[in-house]
Amino acid sequence: MTSTVDPISLPQRTASNDTEIDREALARLLIEIARNVDPDYRARFDGVPTADPRMETLRQLLVSREISELSRVTHLLDEPEQLAAAVGDVLSSAAARAPHVQLGEALAPAVERAVQRSIQKSPRTLTDILYPVFLPAIRKSIGEKIDQTFQSLNETLRHIFTWHGLKWRFESWRTGASFSEVVLKHSLVYRVEHVFLISRNSGLLIAHVAADNATSEDPQLISSMLSAIQDFVKDSFNEKEQSSLDTIRFGDLRLWSEVGQFATLVSVIRGNPPEELHEIVRDVLLRIHEECSQALGEFDGDSSQLAGVEAQLQTCVELKQEESNQGFPWLVVVAVLLLLIPAGGWFLLSWQSGQRWQAYVSQLEIQPGIIVAEQKVRYGQFYISGLRDPLGADPQSLLSGTQVDPARVHSQWKFYQSLEPEFVLKRLTASLAPPDTVRLSIVKDRIVAEGEASAAWISQAHAAAQQLSAGGPVFDISGVRDVSLEEREAERWQAYVSRLETQPGIIVAEQNIRDGQFYIAGLRDPLGTDPQSLLSGTQVDPARVHSQWRFYQSLEPEFVLKRLAASLYPPDTVRLSIVKDRIVAEGEAPDTWIDQARAAARQLSAGGPEFDISKVRDVSPEARAAEHWQYYVSRLEAQPGIIVAQQTERGGHFYISGLRDPLAADPQALLHGTQIDPARVHSQWQFYQSLDPKFVVKRLEASLTPPKSVLLSIIQGRIVVVGEAPANWINRARAAADQLSADGVVLDISQLHELNLAELNDLRAAIQATDIFFYSGKVVPGPEQTPVLDRLADQIKEFAESAHKSGVTARFMLTGHSDATGRETANASISAARAETVRALLNKRGVAPELLLVRGAGTFEPLVPENSQTGSSTNRRVSITVNLD
Amino acid sequence: MLQKKICMLGGFGVGKTSLVRRFVQSIFSETYLTTVGVKIDKKSVALPGKTVDLILWDLAGEDDIGSFRVSHVRGATGLVLVVDGTRAATLAAALTLRERVEAEFGTMPFVLLFNKSDLADRWAISDGDINELRQLGWQIYLTSALSGEHVDDAFRQLASMVAR
Repeated sequence: MTSTVDPISLPQRTASNDTEIDREALARLLIEIARNVDPDYRARFDGVPTADPRMETLRQLLVSREISELSRVTHLLDEPEQLAAAVGDVLSSAAARAPHVQLGEALAPAVERAVQRSIQKSPRTLTDILYPVFLPAIRKSIGEKIDQTFQSLNETLRHIFTWHGLKWRFESWRTGASFSEVVLKHSLVYRVEHVFLISRNSGLLIAHVAADNATSEDPQLISSMLSAIQDFVKDSFNEKEQSSLDTIRFGDLRLWSEVGQFATLVSVIRGNPPEELHEIVRDVLLRIHEECSQALGEFDGDSSQLAGVEAQLQTCVELKQEESNQGFPWLVVVAVLLLLIPAGGWFLLSWQSGQRWQAYVSQLEIQPGIIVAEQKVRYGQFYISGLRDPLGADPQSLLSGTQVDPARVHSQWKFYQSLEPEFVLKRLTASLAPPDTVRLSIVKDRIVAEGEASAAWISQAHAAAQQLSAGGPVFDISGVRDVSLEEREAERWQAYVSRLETQPGIIVAEQNIRDGQFYIAGLRDPLGTDPQSLLSGTQVDPARVHSQWRFYQSLEPEFVLKRLAASLYPPDTVRLSIVKDRIVAEGEAPDTWIDQARAAARQLSAGGPEFDISKVRDVSPEARAAEHWQYYVSRLEAQPGIIVAQQTERGGHFYISGLRDPLAADPQALLHGTQIDPARVHSQWQFYQSLDPKFVVKRLEASLTPPKSVLLSIIQGRIVVVGEAPANWINRARAAADQLSADGVVLDISQLHELNLAELNDLRAAIQATDIFFYSGKVVPGPEQTPVLDRLADQIKEFAESAHKSGVTARFMLTGHSDATGRETANASISAARAETVRALLNKRGVAPELLLVRGAGTFEPLVPENSQTGSSTNRRVSITVNLD
Repeated sequence: MLQKKICMLGGFGVGKTSLVRRFVQSIFSETYLTTVGVKIDKKSVALPGKTVDLILWDLAGEDDIGSFRVSHVRGATGLVLVVDGTRAATLAAALTLRERVEAEFGTMPFVLLFNKSDLADRWAISDGDINELRQLGWQIYLTSALSGEHVDDAFRQLASMVAR
């Protein structure tokens, strides 16, 4: 029987232990049944062996069909090909039965990816699919745009020449909108009277809003009827589904319908709406769809869910454009006037300017010395040419006052010499330069000279007359008398006399000429010029001059000044001068001189010029001392770091008090060289710290002791620290900067860099890595430490020197350590002693002792844990740390 | 506002237009039927707690059932089937129309009106036939556009059926 178990081998193989048939239980059950059938059976059998092949047969008899079915299903599940075929058969109906929302959510990402891939691979496919959807929408949009353009063009043409047109043009210019936009805005008079939102599916009214005063029949019926008409048109003309009746026009009433996914928005418009209104209405419809998509989709006649859409529709109903009055085409009138006025004006002006030009030309023609050869007017420009005498009037200057525009006049003048008597006269006057005694005039076209002249001039005139005879007018000089030598001498004498009369300090009383002799008498100031010396160069013979002069004291200021200067002997510090007929003394003088000068001034007052000595300062010793004191005080006040609070002079003593910075100049020292007696100066100074950057710098230099590599300077009232310094110094500087900033003083440390001690760092590391080791209980290192100490000493010396060069002081801390063996106090003292010993040993090797610091750490800073012999020996040591100041 | 689209179906001359003329609110003239092929009327029915506006689409009934525009019925929630009680053939026409509508849009509530009940002497439908239809659970009314008998009941019944 074992060979027949094959059909169940598969489930046996795949079944797990707990699902395997409990053969023992099955056998017991069968025996139980057998016992019920035959009570004697028990007597014959005590039990059933579990491996009884009959059991297997029985099982096959019972469940073989299920087993084979199960194996088929399992096989189906294990084979992907078959499984796919099986699922494929039911996929479509499964999808149809699945809840749509969940299925949509599950599929959405996959579909989105698939579409994305499809577009990436070949955009054409998707374009082909969407083409029929997009095309009508695009066509409609373009159609509307074209309508809009035509409408705009029509309205623009209609209103281009009206008064409104002008106003609208101004509005367009003012608002920056295009003219056609403005025209449309004003000319399209319309009002949206009703808006119906109609369910696309049932034609039932979802919402209706009417404008004020707008009446209509029952909106519910209207909306249904409208959709019925849509259907009617669609059916009647076999229109496709996606198209819709979008405009119905009746007189000036229009019905515009915008179709959405679930609802149609029908607006009833009275008047002439702009095409843009389509877009506005469409926007409202889209907004309604966005906001209430679900409610619209599920609309079944109950509009209570969609109460909010009325507010949206209300915005459509509010759209309107009021009518504005259209009137007489004023613009045309204005335009014609605008054209006529300039034209008339131009004719008038050109006629007027022509008249003026002619007046000017005739004025030129009558001018002597000007011959007009040609003149003409062309294109508003004036051209004139001819001859002119340079002595004649300038044609250009004649233009002024004629109202002819000089810029439009183009002249071409050639010079010539006119022979008209007046021009000849002018030329003779210019060339002969007749003396004042000769008068030239024109008498019956002849030029006549009359009067007196020198012989030389007369002969010159003769020559000119001869030259003129060739064609010109006659020059008659017969009327000119030759002036005698005596007369000339008399003239010279008179010149001399008149010169004397203008001399200050000379008064001419009498003068005459008798028999070729000249007599003169008068007064003269001894300080004035000598009349005799003035004779030289006058061509008057001194031998023939007989003078009689008497001396007198002139009261003219310059003479008085001279006399005062001679009599008063003013000191060098006084300067005398004449200011508007007054004599003014300025400067400094002792009181005695001032008294003298005052007396002189009093004497002068009787008739002479005023002597003003008020500007002479009394320079008595007290006054000078006070001046010196004031000078000293002002010097102190100018000193930085010194504040003068109070100063006074009393009984020849000087008192001063105030504040001074200890770093400022010593006020006492400043007394030196001021000629003030220090014994008479009583100062009371209190010290304070000046915030003047100079003093702050001084204090900083004293307190911070900056290294050499750092420079403090004052730049525009700020203290700037520049250079390199060790980090701890920078920290101190920063702290100082913080403190100072509270006082309002800027300490700029931004240009301060940390000292680059790179080359020193290696050395520092080497020094700090060195340990001097000791034997247990010893404070002197063993002989094997000698080379370590030698090397350490060299390194410390090198480091200290390099640091010093960088402006930093290096200090070396020697820390002694002990192991943990023994008492704590003993260990502490032994550790300190070890450090002291190393210091002495280093000192012996030339290291300056002030660089070495010592401390004992006892057992508190072990290098390794104290649990072995090695640990103890390692911890008995002196370690070194390097500090930079 | 609760409204329901109701379509009135029935053969030519069964009295649909007369039914609505007297008992419903109407603004459109009957010429619509011949121009647009449909006429819209409204019947407000007060039910307990609410009022339902039945928007009645009176579709042009013609002899030729084929010319009937099924598309007008889209979105309807109920039907009023009208039969001329004096012409037995109109019952078949009404039932055919209903079948066509249900094939297109699925089943929907309806009332069946045997109109012209005032013309008892020319009555052509046997009570047995009517009872047979009532057995199917249909709501059947014998109405008279002339007397107004049962017209309101019929609309009230339909309103309560569609306004659940």
